[in-house]
Amino acid sequence: MLKYTVRRLIQGIPTFFGITVLSYMLMLAAPGNPIELLTFDPNISVEAREKLAIQAGLNDPWPLQYLTWLIGNDWRPVDMNANGVLEEGEYGVRQGILRGDFGRSFFYKRAAITVIGDRIPATLELGVAALITSLVLGIPIGVIAAIRRGGIFDNFSRVMAVVFNAVPSFWLGIMMILFFGSILGLLPMNGRCGTVLVGGCPPLYARLEYLIMPTFVLAAGGIAGYSRYMRTSMLETISRDYIRTAHAKGLPGRTVWFKHAARNAMIPIATFLGPALTGLWGGAVITERVFGWPGVGRLAVEAVTQRDYPVVMAIVILGAVSTIIGYIVSDILYALIDPRIRFS
Amino acid sequence: MRKLSAIVLLVVAALVLSVLALPAAAQDEGGPGEGGIIIESNFGGDIATLNPIIISDASSSAVAGFLYPGIIGLDPETQNAAPNVAGALATGWEYDETGTVLTIYLRDDAFWNDGTPITAADYLYAAEAIKSGETDSARTYVFDSIESIEAPDDYTVVVTFKEFNCRSFNDVNDIPVVPAHIFSEVFETYADMNEDVDYNLNPTVTFGPFAFGEYRPAEQVSLVADQSYPDTILGYVSPAGWIYKNVADQTVEIELLLAGEINVVAGVTPERQQDMRDNADIQTFDYPANGYTYMGFNLADPTNPQDGLDEDGNPIDQGNHPLFGDVRVRQAIAMGVDVASMVDATLFGEGVQIATNAIPTSWAYDDSIEPWPFDPEAAAALLEEAGWIDEDGDGVRECRGCLYAEEGAPAEFELLTNAGNTTRERIGEIIQSQLADLGIKVNFNAIDFNILVQTLLGQEFDAIIIGWSLGLPDDPDGTAFYGPENDLVGSGFNFVSMNNEELNRLYNEAAHVPGCDQDARAELYIEANRLLRNELPYLYLYSANAQYAVRAEVEGFDPFPSFLYWNIDAWRVISAE
Repeated sequence: MLKYTVRRLIQGIPTFFGITVLSYMLMLAAPGNPIELLTFDPNISVEAREKLAIQAGLNDPWPLQYLTWLIGNDWRPVDMNANGVLEEGEYGVRQGILRGDFGRSFFYKRAAITVIGDRIPATLELGVAALITSLVLGIPIGVIAAIRRGGIFDNFSRVMAVVFNAVPSFWLGIMMILFFGSILGLLPMNGRCGTVLVGGCPPLYARLEYLIMPTFVLAAGGIAGYSRYMRTSMLETISRDYIRTAHAKGLPGRTVWFKHAARNAMIPIATFLGPALTGLWGGAVITERVFGWPGVGRLAVEAVTQRDYPVVMAIVILGAVSTIIGYIVSDILYALIDPRIRFS
Repeated sequence: MRKLSAIVLLVVAALVLSVLALPAAAQDEGGPGEGGIIIESNFGGDIATLNPIIISDASSSAVAGFLYPGIIGLDPETQNAAPNVAGALATGWEYDETGTVLTIYLRDDAFWNDGTPITAADYLYAAEAIKSGETDSARTYVFDSIESIEAPDDYTVVVTFKEFNCRSFNDVNDIPVVPAHIFSEVFETYADMNEDVDYNLNPTVTFGPFAFGEYRPAEQVSLVADQSYPDTILGYVSPAGWIYKNVADQTVEIELLLAGEINVVAGVTPERQQDMRDNADIQTFDYPANGYTYMGFNLADPTNPQDGLDEDGNPIDQGNHPLFGDVRVRQAIAMGVDVASMVDATLFGEGVQIATNAIPTSWAYDDSIEPWPFDPEAAAALLEEAGWIDEDGDGVRECRGCLYAEEGAPAEFELLTNAGNTTRERIGEIIQSQLADLGIKVNFNAIDFNILVQTLLGQEFDAIIIGWSLGLPDDPDGTAFYGPENDLVGSGFNFVSMNNEELNRLYNEAAHVPGCDQDARAELYIEANRLLRNELPYLYLYSANAQYAVRAEVEGFDPFPSFLYWNIDAWRVISAE
């Protein structure tokens, strides 16, 4: 299995580079640039703007910008003070992502990796809570719907699945905020922690109420999706001979459904788990914005709007790596769960 | 009986005393840091840095404004530079006879909160850092006008300008004052400010009613009362602190205010302003926002954008826009668009129509300059006179002897604005519909702001709806927007390619009035504004009303336009108990 994992990881390297080249090109091809946006101010002279663009390396051709991003520019002379003259010993200061330097955010004026690092705990917190919620609710709903096929519960869950899949999450979020936050005053409407002068954010258990609404909104699609997948998979499984045999052997219904059928029906779900990890980043973009959740998703939207290239690229890498790893984990899980599949 | 009377008297006396005592309790003055917490929503995005040398975003500036003194203060009431303003250093200033040397006298009773005196060296440090070009400060433009800054002693700053220009005065205040003794320790070189230095987001030595509390990324910044601040109104800082809480949605922002989770919203959207006024739990203050919205016309040929001047300062032939090159067409459009109704329809009446680039609070505002009247008939007649006639009866006029378009070309143009700004999108639709009635076809598109900026600066557009936020102190000069030297393809802000000799003369004269007398300058600017009203490089639309909304339990709320917090050290949140 170790050999298999290592091989898959090595296979992931060209994919990773492919993603970065494409993303970098697309990002630079998008109109506008960060300096134009940061200095859209008539007070700021053309020369001052030009200087900032040179310092940021934005006037370099894109392959050079990509190369700088990848391997840095501390090995070549760079006009760091943008005075038009390359002075002796005037080298770049960037080390490139291959040496762990993801560049400096144009907007936040600090290392892109620090900016993202500040946000990752919040996104993970929300993402994991949403994933657990969607699995814990989605799978049993699917199993019960399959067992009670054609019944009220099955029809109800089907309707609800369509509704939750169809409702845009920003709308669901705003409605929940208005109802549970504003009208009923039951849940906090914004943010991840209480508003206190000093003392930081308390531990998770002391602020669970902040997690409820965003988790539900982020998990809504997942609950709907998993319940439908699980129902289909379960229906397929319970029509198998071994289930009929189990019934024929006189095993109690509950044992057959949950011990024999559900466990086997969950195998296809494992394949969804890997991509689900990536999906959580994607879904969080909207949910985090609506609830003012201080996570990576919200940062991603802001960074794209502000053309904050280093932050955008760092988030792309985060997404690319989690996707690649997600698929590998998914394949490994599949092989672990289903003895018919072997690592080869 | 006497006993009974005595009891009744005692009871009455007790009641009277208790009634007298009640208001006394309610009016309890509180004490240092006992005035509760002021929580303002921050809809403008997370702060980037609290190092004022490199700040370039509004959220960071809002926070840093509490932490560092200005060199010259602004009087909150007049919005003009004034000596001895709380929180600022200048006690006075004077120009030499050439008007190029400005001597600023600083107070000697201001101290950083670590006890170090605030001196001219603190201003010089920031100036040197900006001038070095090693930081990524966008303020290097101040040295376009400033030749040098010196400090003959600890409490005197001498600024020498490259040439006499009244507009240069504002550049002096764009250089911040920072604790040089700390900054030179924390940042070994100026370039270090660009690095991941903790101090940029954790400043410990400050001067203001509040000191830095803590920063929770993308959540909030908190400041705590700093009782060492000498310029308080009550003799102490009343609020325990101030929190700038990030809120991502403007609907949620108002709900949070109504629920009492925050107590200040500094920018209520027009559609909610009346709700706020009607709400007994909220106190409001309305004022014309320091900015305006306009429709800009590209006067030059958009298919071949050229700079305004060549290297020797001679005008370059930029061609003429087929429609807008003719001032009569611009004037016809101004009369064909009902701006007053537009303000009602898009801003719920929360705005004022403007005639020029001077908003009502400007010192160069003159209410005798009136906007163009809405007069579709006069507009149609003017278009006919300009050679735009609908001969084929298809509802769109064609060029029949017009000045700059090909014969037979339809009266058609593309109007752009930034997508997501629903007010501007609605304005575009109104203009599109009203100009269709006039026989002008408008292709209206709302596009991504980045693309808009690029198209705008690239001068490849026909017309655009956008707005300007103005700075303080008020500077009525419009050289940046209408001066030919700023007509630079790809970077200049005179993207409408305005070049009017009379206007250039007026601006130049106003910038060189001997002694920079404000009244004398205002006269020239008013004349310039009258010219702009008639020449219409922009169709000036409106200045929207801004509103501060603050919970009723906040005492001391007494703002001036654009100066919400001038007396925040005396604010107090009365607790519900």
